[in-house]
Amino acid sequence: MVDLENLRTIAKETISREDVKYFIGWREGTYGFSVSPHFVREPAEADKLIFSPLCSNNLATYLTLAEKLPVPRGQEPDTRKVALMVKGCDSRAVVQLLVERGIEREQVVVIGCPCQGVIDTKKVEQLLGQPENVVRARWEKGKIICQLPDGEKEFIKEEVLAQKCLKCRYPNPVIYDILFGEKVEPWCQEEDFQEVKEIEGLTLQERWDYWQEKFSSCIRCYSCRNVCPLCYCEDCILDRLNPTWINRSVNISENTAFQLSRAFHLAGRCIECGECERVCPVNIPLMKLNKKLSKAVKEMFDFEPGLDPEAKPLQASYRPDDKEDFIL
Amino acid sequence: MNSKPKIGVYVCHCGINISKTVDVDAVTEYASQLPGVKVARNYSYMCSDPGQLLIKEDIKKQGLNRVVVASCSPRMHELTFRKALAEAGLNPYYLEMANLREQCSWVHADREEATAKAKKIVASAVAKVRLLEPLEEKEVEVEPATLIIGGGIAGIQAALDIANAGYKVFLVEKTPSLGGKMSKLDKTFPTLDCSACILTPKMVDVASHPNIELMTYSQVEEVTGYVGNFQVKVRKKARFVDVDKCTGCGICGEECRLAGRIPNEFDEGMGKRGAIYLPFPQAVPAKYTIDPERCLFLTRGKCGKSPKCVDACPAGAIDFEQKDEIVEFKVGAIIVATGYDVFDATRKPEYGYGQYKNVLTALELERLVSASGPTGGQVVLGEGESAFVPKEIAFIQCVGSRDKSVGNEYCSRVCCMYTAKLAHLVKEKIPEANVRVYYMDVRAFGKGFEEFYDRVRREGVRYIRGNPSEAFKRGDKLVIKAEDTLTAKTLEDEVDLVVLSVGLEPRKDAREIIDLLRLSQSADKFYLEAHPKLAPVDTATDGVYLAGCAQGPKDIPDTVAQAKGAASSALILLSSGKVKVQAQVSSVDEATCRGCGYCVEICPYGAIELVTVNRFGHKVTVARVNEALCKGCGACAAGCLSGSIQQKSFKDSQILPQIAALGVKQ
Repeated sequence: MVDLENLRTIAKETISREDVKYFIGWREGTYGFSVSPHFVREPAEADKLIFSPLCSNNLATYLTLAEKLPVPRGQEPDTRKVALMVKGCDSRAVVQLLVERGIEREQVVVIGCPCQGVIDTKKVEQLLGQPENVVRARWEKGKIICQLPDGEKEFIKEEVLAQKCLKCRYPNPVIYDILFGEKVEPWCQEEDFQEVKEIEGLTLQERWDYWQEKFSSCIRCYSCRNVCPLCYCEDCILDRLNPTWINRSVNISENTAFQLSRAFHLAGRCIECGECERVCPVNIPLMKLNKKLSKAVKEMFDFEPGLDPEAKPLQASYRPDDKEDFIL
Repeated sequence: MNSKPKIGVYVCHCGINISKTVDVDAVTEYASQLPGVKVARNYSYMCSDPGQLLIKEDIKKQGLNRVVVASCSPRMHELTFRKALAEAGLNPYYLEMANLREQCSWVHADREEATAKAKKIVASAVAKVRLLEPLEEKEVEVEPATLIIGGGIAGIQAALDIANAGYKVFLVEKTPSLGGKMSKLDKTFPTLDCSACILTPKMVDVASHPNIELMTYSQVEEVTGYVGNFQVKVRKKARFVDVDKCTGCGICGEECRLAGRIPNEFDEGMGKRGAIYLPFPQAVPAKYTIDPERCLFLTRGKCGKSPKCVDACPAGAIDFEQKDEIVEFKVGAIIVATGYDVFDATRKPEYGYGQYKNVLTALELERLVSASGPTGGQVVLGEGESAFVPKEIAFIQCVGSRDKSVGNEYCSRVCCMYTAKLAHLVKEKIPEANVRVYYMDVRAFGKGFEEFYDRVRREGVRYIRGNPSEAFKRGDKLVIKAEDTLTAKTLEDEVDLVVLSVGLEPRKDAREIIDLLRLSQSADKFYLEAHPKLAPVDTATDGVYLAGCAQGPKDIPDTVAQAKGAASSALILLSSGKVKVQAQVSSVDEATCRGCGYCVEICPYGAIELVTVNRFGHKVTVARVNEALCKGCGACAAGCLSGSIQQKSFKDSQILPQIAALGVKQ
């Protein structure tokens, strides 16, 4: 059981600190299974905080999304800390941001939340449709309970959990200042890259056809990029006009270039929170692309991002025994 | 410089190197039609004086402000033409080379297709040249000192030359003494000079030279900076002996509880030393060193009641509290003279090295015949009662050289002659011995080599042409199985001693220097020179030079010659006092840089640092390039995720139109 009282106490104490600007957590959404990010600036606002199997959003993205408006002359910028609730996967984004100096350690208070897996709303909506009323959910004895208007419904995890959770190796935060709840056992010890291997097993033509079909449906909404906690360049090269690496036009060629560039820019950086795939309105299996690169990075360089804040970034590190047999 | 581009295109015939496969007239005609091109000409040798004059005249008379030279690789003549532009008063960075030779005429046969491709290459150079910006070449001062890594004959010679020219030298040697491999040799071919007699005086000179700071038992830990201004960090390993007090009297070595119980590296493990030791009698400096891996006191914290060396030393020089010391200094040039490793003969198990006692490497025999060796110069095998003088002796050449099976395709260049020398020395010491040499070819190419080879054969050494297939034991004899390829007879020769003429290999720790100085390796894994013919002592890293076997196998005369060459190259740099730094450096767009620091990690020259800047009242971190340190390699630009680093003359905005002009849609 999640002790919400404790969570809210933690939040109140944290936001009362002088050196904390705001506290980012989750609150109930406005309909169905969705939840909203919640920015707590006053202790009273902490009472809306929740932590449930519906809290799939990776809030780490807000660390770098915060707009830095020009500071009026004579004023000092607000450099107080941001408190942030993270699940295991989200915490890896925080670590990777530290590695890349996207944030400084002293700028964040990390509230680590051991996680038993979050619901894939697409899966659960297929089973139940999209209720108008707000749905609540909770973990109970290894099961997921959804509170629907017509009573509670119990699911085993495999039925409703997000794909990333079914193979989660890091349910416990890898970095935190305050731990909320008790640590849980990982579901999985080893990454098997099963979904990547399935595609690798196809012929070149089959793979091409597969991705052509997926990419042709891309509407270039940029949600995948915007939600990604690690896509935070001030001026993204995918937007740039001079030089124009990728044209605005939505067609298979530009879509492919866009998706591949996005994935490549995350090679050795993607912490596999699955947010890009979750928000994709046309259901492109983006995690398969990301995982393909994770697999290459793991096999070639025995590297996994977002685990050690002291690690050197993959692209910026070099070992004499690095494999180079891919160089012709 | 915003005036309209007036481009001159100069197509080179390169004799017939280009014009044979490319229709230079057609390319010239095509180039003259390209937008912005004012003049297009072709000439037989653009790099010649009249060729350069064409460009200079056109710049002056026709007011050209951009030049494309369509000839060879920029590695060849970019500097030549930049100079021509500068002499005509144009910024030298308004030049773009179109490589019609290496990238077109040399690699294609079909004239029509090659001409079509040449046109595209020229068009792409024209597309880029209009976008080039003028760059400024800066000069920096050169620190008048040299670091030499390696205290063998190459390092010694280079150090003496530079020091004698009046410049400071820091000579860093890994082992406790100068001398390197040469100090292990008894005689040198083909003149049979005593190796120690000609080397020792040089070693002493180095130690006493006022301009040389000798650091033995030391290792270079870190090199930063750039040509003319390298910052060096050297670790002086603890000897546990105060070198200022040690007189080299040797009492400690005799008293050490482990005296005579540790294989002596200098004698290839055949002699014995103590845990406190002088590597060899003529060692420079003549100071004792404690082997930290063997010394009882250092490994176990206890050596009897008190360490015997401490009790024995009349000077009180032993200091177990001594710590490694880090020394830092600045130099303008670096010479790498790290030498080689001897081929490990156990990698050719068919010859039984390491398995049979009486199979030796040539270097081991060298120690046996040496008067300072473990047997006092007697060629005696075995110990005590079983000791005997070998009468049948076989040399096997090319062990570990010219041998693809061990990955060494190259000839080690010294083995033929040292085999002849050793055969001669053995014959001299054991006149009744039968000495055979099994060989593939005898390469006696140097001055006096063929004569010496001839002399050795006349002395009765038998040369048998055939590479033995194996050596095995039969009774107390060793049997060499071979085919005499001149008579097509198979042989099984019974011998007492087999000597393997092992080849030279790159050092096992070669990688350390590569990482330190960003050197490259050639296919044989020795360090790569900048150009095999015209820059044989230079490397791809400016201000770093090679001497001796680190660059490839060579004998002592060649090593000394190359060391003198490296010294001269370093001296050119030091005495000119100034060095031009790269103008095509990287620059950061601080408005879009997100300060992730990838470039800082990627930069092999330590040229980028993170700085805090004020962005609309917020303190943000961005990267900044130190232009004096930047070598223009472009690694940062490739690694920057937000595309905020661009290399001058190679900006995305300059390269993309260049690519587009090749016919690729943008």
